[in-house]
Amino acid sequence: MDPFIFFSLLQDGITTGAIYLLLAIGLLIVFSVTRVIFVPQGDLLAFGTLTAAGLQAGRLPGTLWLLDALAALALAHSLFQGRRAALRGLLCWGAYPLVVTLLARGLAPLMLPAASILLTLAIVTPLGPLIWRFAFRPVADASVLALLILAMALHFVLVGLGLVFFGPEEASAPTLSDASVAIGNLSVSGQSLWVLGCCALLVILLRWFFGATIHGKALRAAASDRLGARLCGIDTAETGALAFGLAAFIAALAGVLIGALTPLSYDAGFEIGLKGFVAAIIGGLASFPVAAAGAILVGVLESVGSFWASAYRDVIVFTLLIPVLVWLSLRTGTAEDRA
Amino acid sequence: MKAHLFGAVAALGMITAAASAEAQIKIGAILSISGPAAAMGVGYKGAFDFFPTEIAGQKVEYIIRDDATDANTAFTIAQKMISEDHVDAFIGPSLTASDAAVAPLANQAKVPMIAMAPYEYDPQKQPYTFNDAQPLSLMVSVVFKYMQQHGVKDIGYIGFSDGWGDQVLSATKQSAAADGMKILADERYARTDTSCEAQALKLLSVHPQAVMMGNSATPAALPVVALRHLGYRGGIYGNHGIVTPAFIKVGGAAANGVIADTSPVVVYNQLPPGNVIKPVATAFMEEFTKKFGPQSVNPFAGYSYDAMLLLKNAIPAALQAGQPGTEAFRVALRDALEKTHELIGVSGVYNMSPTNHNGQDERAAVLVEVKDGAWMAIH
Amino acid sequence: MTQGRHLLAVVVAVLAIVAVPGLLPAFYVTLFGYVGLAALVALGLVLLTGISGQTSFGQASFVGLAAYATTLLTKFADMPSVVGLLAGLAVTGLTAWLLGLITARLSGHFLALVSVAWGLSFFSLFGTLPWLHGFNGIGNIPPMGLGGLMAESRRIDLAVIIAAVALLMVMSANLLDSRMGRAIRTLNGARLMGESVGIDTVRLSRTVFVIAALYAGLSGFLFAHFQRFISPTPFSLGASIDYLFMVIIGGAEWLWGAPLGAAIVVVLRDQFNDWVPRLTGQAGNYEALVFAIVVIVLLQRAPEGLLALFARAPRRPPRRPPPSSEAAKIAPPAVAAAPVRVTQPGPELLALDCISRRFGGLLANQDVSFAVHAGEIVALIGPNGAGKTTLFNVISGVLEPSGGRVRLFGETSSHEPTRRIAARGLARTFQHVKLLPSRSVLENVALGAHLSGRAGVLRAMLRLDRSEEASILAEARVQAARVGLDHVLERPAGDLPLGQQRVVEIARALCLRPRLLLLDEPAAGLRLAEKQNLAALLRQLRAENMGVLLVEHDMDFVMQLADRVVVMDFGQKIAEGPPERVQADPAVMEAYLGGVV
Repeated sequence: MDPFIFFSLLQDGITTGAIYLLLAIGLLIVFSVTRVIFVPQGDLLAFGTLTAAGLQAGRLPGTLWLLDALAALALAHSLFQGRRAALRGLLCWGAYPLVVTLLARGLAPLMLPAASILLTLAIVTPLGPLIWRFAFRPVADASVLALLILAMALHFVLVGLGLVFFGPEEASAPTLSDASVAIGNLSVSGQSLWVLGCCALLVILLRWFFGATIHGKALRAAASDRLGARLCGIDTAETGALAFGLAAFIAALAGVLIGALTPLSYDAGFEIGLKGFVAAIIGGLASFPVAAAGAILVGVLESVGSFWASAYRDVIVFTLLIPVLVWLSLRTGTAEDRA
Repeated sequence: MKAHLFGAVAALGMITAAASAEAQIKIGAILSISGPAAAMGVGYKGAFDFFPTEIAGQKVEYIIRDDATDANTAFTIAQKMISEDHVDAFIGPSLTASDAAVAPLANQAKVPMIAMAPYEYDPQKQPYTFNDAQPLSLMVSVVFKYMQQHGVKDIGYIGFSDGWGDQVLSATKQSAAADGMKILADERYARTDTSCEAQALKLLSVHPQAVMMGNSATPAALPVVALRHLGYRGGIYGNHGIVTPAFIKVGGAAANGVIADTSPVVVYNQLPPGNVIKPVATAFMEEFTKKFGPQSVNPFAGYSYDAMLLLKNAIPAALQAGQPGTEAFRVALRDALEKTHELIGVSGVYNMSPTNHNGQDERAAVLVEVKDGAWMAIH
Repeated sequence: MTQGRHLLAVVVAVLAIVAVPGLLPAFYVTLFGYVGLAALVALGLVLLTGISGQTSFGQASFVGLAAYATTLLTKFADMPSVVGLLAGLAVTGLTAWLLGLITARLSGHFLALVSVAWGLSFFSLFGTLPWLHGFNGIGNIPPMGLGGLMAESRRIDLAVIIAAVALLMVMSANLLDSRMGRAIRTLNGARLMGESVGIDTVRLSRTVFVIAALYAGLSGFLFAHFQRFISPTPFSLGASIDYLFMVIIGGAEWLWGAPLGAAIVVVLRDQFNDWVPRLTGQAGNYEALVFAIVVIVLLQRAPEGLLALFARAPRRPPRRPPPSSEAAKIAPPAVAAAPVRVTQPGPELLALDCISRRFGGLLANQDVSFAVHAGEIVALIGPNGAGKTTLFNVISGVLEPSGGRVRLFGETSSHEPTRRIAARGLARTFQHVKLLPSRSVLENVALGAHLSGRAGVLRAMLRLDRSEEASILAEARVQAARVGLDHVLERPAGDLPLGQQRVVEIARALCLRPRLLLLDEPAAGLRLAEKQNLAALLRQLRAENMGVLLVEHDMDFVMQLADRVVVMDFGQKIAEGPPERVQADPAVMEAYLGGVV
């Protein structure tokens, strides 16, 4: 394997690894706050890519109508819940979707990449709290297994919706950069740099959010002890919504970033999300730096595995993960009792 | 116990589902409308909108079901169609793997089946299986003739890691041997892969003069993009499965110059004036594009349409032997299909015989190249 | 007895299906066949996930292994299907056993993920290995047969499938209603307790895992010869998720949840595939979506499965225990004994020699030394956080000492696992009660007698363990009566007030026939009369030459009962001696009261 090939594979692996890392972060946030293993995050990633592609082609994407429909339901629901909730509902689920819809109608025909990307983020992010509200909040105290199964069912719902909204064809998100930076003999694509840059920026922003803002601290409190957080006056329904919102934002962003490099179809999100899940698990669903290392590892393994034995790539990636997981599990300790 | 209550409710549901509207002739269509092959499936399905609801005085019902690009699903659907819907014939399946699964069932139940994907079978062992998709060996040999004429001596191969990739490779090996070319590499990738860079790199490392692809539909654009992105300058050739507008859309600038061959219907308006297929294809495609838009031209709708034409041609003779819904009808239908002679379809001209249930010849292949963002016929 | 009636009904149904050709239209034969095949796998999942708490997203792989094994042998090597069955089960069982070596030690999420990993690996393998024919599948698989008789029609296949489901349900029910069944239930969140009565939880987890895999393997064999066509897709991750759907929807903790869930999922899917395209005029776009939405609604309405909605007893014990006006009091022990202080204790049972235990920077136990002898009651007291429960955990093998030595019955036991220590004759109760709350008091107590039985999984399934089971239950009844619980034997243990739950733990501990008894706050939550009865019981045990080491906060209780008192504070022993002396010790008063009053 010559250095050119190796560098290309490495670049490929690190770029996809960065995407897996983003997804792992989203998963970690949601899991620690709500105990939901948010499998459908991969599907939201695909939504991100396809929504941006649709907007860029001058069409209004189906996700916009999904947002409007769910928001209308949430608005109706909140109107029966007292004045404060009603006011908030009007703002979040009334005014916001209206503004976004109008903007989309106005800007989509112009086919501006920046507008498409920002609108995509604006459309897909609120789907997170809406999913929380309608799918998970009613059974927030169920067992982790039941929540996981629910998440799996939700995945199928989103995939089904994706087929209806976007059809079976693949599509690409608009690129942020078509440039290519040359370092000696090797070339690094501009889009890859954008991916890595956004990833790093997001990590820094999240660190600040969790460390310095009241909402971030509330999330951390809810993550470490839900009952204790509630006793301190933290609304765990809200923290759940916030966690899902963050995860949806991350997924949409990841979709826009990776979707410019590879075209995705409506059902391609699951496998990407699965690998993000793998990275999160490697971090023990708790530790961020280890998850980061895990994400890069998965990305590079995948890339190299593709090269060596393309047909067996998946077998290699998933089988090699088993000893890694075993080692990690043994380090964390043997099976413990659940209280 | 409450479990029994559930059982009763379920049974009730099943009974009501079994009662359906009675139609005279029932044709079952198993198409891949979701899953990785859905982009093609949409094409196959679109043609059904233009099928006659009455043939030779009999009402016709088309039962379209989705096999989700999965042979097992196709199998269970076919079982149901045979034993519950009592179909008289199958149009499809549209997926090679599904063809392999359904054909034994169809033959056992004596239901004529017009497969619409390249599927290898022996007409004498499977008398009820027919196929209106051009045989791979035919299509690949036409492309290889072109390659040979342009001095290509060695190639690299990249294809799907499933049955289709295997089949195209096998046809490729045949043609390469016949035309004296060497195959330097064999790379595969999964239909659902999001990137082919690794495989493209491996191909490049053996420096082939040309690359032959064994893939189809939008995932076929992936290796083209990867190869051009990595700087490959040789010719890229494909089989007829890649000739779709989506290929060009996803491939972008990289797709220019890719050469394949395709059904006549895809370039219906570029066929020479004397071509016998041209009037039939034009009539169909004009209606088709009126409904689905000018970008909707595709070969898959052509296969569905030709299957319908084959059946329409054979049904009058079959009606002599029995009523629809009976085995006698189906046997006679099969016999009539086998006697098809010079039937002009949109994908080719059909001449069936007991040893040839496909019946197409070189009139079924037109060489095309991507030029200026569209598939143009090469003259 | 209802079992007998169910069996009879099944036999009649099977005979009817086989004998009467037109009774069941072909479509239903196929549909019920698929339900039965799925029920087999789901049954294994109930045992694996619902009862023993191991989530597996890879059961479909085991189905596939067996299906491919039998296909290769019967179609390409012309072997009879019995060979295919044995080969399928062998391949599946061996693979599961090997995987189980890895997974049995994994906790929660890791286990689920590893199962996803192997599920995807096997699926990829099935699709890629050329001799398995990949996604084109393998058709024309020969039918099942036995000694020349071939199952030429699907009806016979269906009869075999129904018989298999019935057989496995009976065997599973037998298993759960046995000593091993009780042991399996401890795997789901009460492993520590299981180890404390001698259960090898890791090995048992692996056994259950293999059993579930074998069930799936049987389904795979039957599937191959029923459908006569296989391809990788029925063995994909999606199929594994489907099996989990079935189990969760039906009710993961009930055996009947498996066939119920299987029926619902298979039939619903089939119906949707039929109706949704008719309603929407579009095949392929909406069926999966509608199905998934229905699943979500079902899960929201019945997060513990539909059977839970209909089960008579509530699944979880009520949050607040019922007022104890009608709750039983602990009866006085069988033989009343006057408080007698034993002045000459028997041989040494337990010796702690400079035990230290460190957790990172925290020194929970520091150089603690004392001994407990037969026929003596030693009380371990100290303020909260003194390290008493840590010390218990070290003694009973839950934790290893960071320094020092534990000698139990004359031999060093510092590094022995809990179950080995239990086998040697040490029984304990827990500070936070560890019971199986939904099981009866009798069953919980009977757990303690686990080591007195020998019947393994196979004997249990074949119901060959009845006499042993009778003697285990008899022993449990004796010990339960001894602690005064004989009139609540059939109540779910979680229904009892907390104090009584502690007494259940004591009865369980006694079933072990221990020589040394470790009691962690046994009197907490008991009323005065109950405490007196407990004290009388402990004195009785002392008279029978048992050694008792107990942690308690109730000073009156301790002082009138104990022969010796050991006082701990901040991880160190600060006093030891007869109760009166310790009570007057200034260091003790300092620790408890902050100074000499």
